[in-house]
Amino acid sequence: MKSMLPIFKGGLALAAAMVLGGCAPTYYVDRVGCPAPCAPVPDSYVVLIPSPDGTVGNVVVAGEKGEQVLNKSGQAATLSGQPFAVDEKRVKDDFGAAMAALPRVPVRYVLFFSEGVKLDPASDAEISRIVAEAKGRPAVDVTIIGHTDTLQSIEYNDKLGLKRANRVAELLRERGLKTESVSVQSMGKRNPVVSTPDNVFEPKNRRVEISVR
Amino acid sequence: MHKFLAIVLFVLSSAVFADEPVGRVKTATGEAFITSSGNKAKAEVGSPVYQGSLIETGKNSSLGITFKDETMVSFGANTVFTVSDYVYSPSDGKLKFGSKLAKGSLNYVSGAIGKLKPEAVTVGTPSGTIGVRGTQFLVTVAE
Repeated sequence: MKSMLPIFKGGLALAAAMVLGGCAPTYYVDRVGCPAPCAPVPDSYVVLIPSPDGTVGNVVVAGEKGEQVLNKSGQAATLSGQPFAVDEKRVKDDFGAAMAALPRVPVRYVLFFSEGVKLDPASDAEISRIVAEAKGRPAVDVTIIGHTDTLQSIEYNDKLGLKRANRVAELLRERGLKTESVSVQSMGKRNPVVSTPDNVFEPKNRRVEISVR
Repeated sequence: MHKFLAIVLFVLSSAVFADEPVGRVKTATGEAFITSSGNKAKAEVGSPVYQGSLIETGKNSSLGITFKDETMVSFGANTVFTVSDYVYSPSDGKLKFGSKLAKGSLNYVSGAIGKLKPEAVTVGTPSGTIGVRGTQFLVTVAE
């Protein structure tokens, strides 16, 4: 019943539009239940689709016809904020070129250091995988951010985080990384992945995070 | 996942320079142009995109761009898109991605700005505004 509600509402809106509007434009409310003659899908519109990670967020389309929240995959609205339904074929026709031009989804990595600037063996092995991932990408940008645990001062850890990030940058270059840009930064102990009191040894916080995009 | 993102963002804020590119072209077909600070140049894979850049694709042309915060946008033919406002400085809460689609087709995948501060992400169109709350969507604007 719950899933029927939007269609029912849409049907009501359509009926109202027909009664009140006469020649007012109407839109598909439901592919199957669409009464003939159906008005065409508008030339300008928004349609929500799932994100690359599979989740569906929402968009709010605000215009002179009101404000429409789209929160289900495939929901559409005119740019002025009026909802309607659009089928897959039409979406493909209108957006095939733009969808095909979408860049590869960025990838992130986390490498760990048990001590100083010495990478853990498992993380060291990961370096080659990062280089390979970057090689497969056009005009790749890489961001490398060093982190520490909370042992020692902020100043000390800012420097240590930067040393770690630089060490990773060096290893990546040694193993063949070629990029448009590399940004090397440190967060020191300010962004632990595991929250601890100050001056606590925590291997999970001794890390470098890498974004390849 | 979210935590990791937040951490990444925090740091990037420390390296914000006025004339640093905010994004880069990753895919390109046909003839497209990017106008930044009054200079119009052909858009190719590797071309930088700045705050304020105007992006235009021609007939049978398409373009894909990835921004610093991992937002991705791609366009089909005959598109005019402006990066009106791009601020990526999460440590002091300064996050904004305002853009305008004057015409054409756009595939938008929101990145970290959309996750950390959804209300700061908007796409303007000739007849309204699209608020983006962490997702992928498509927009087409007819001439």
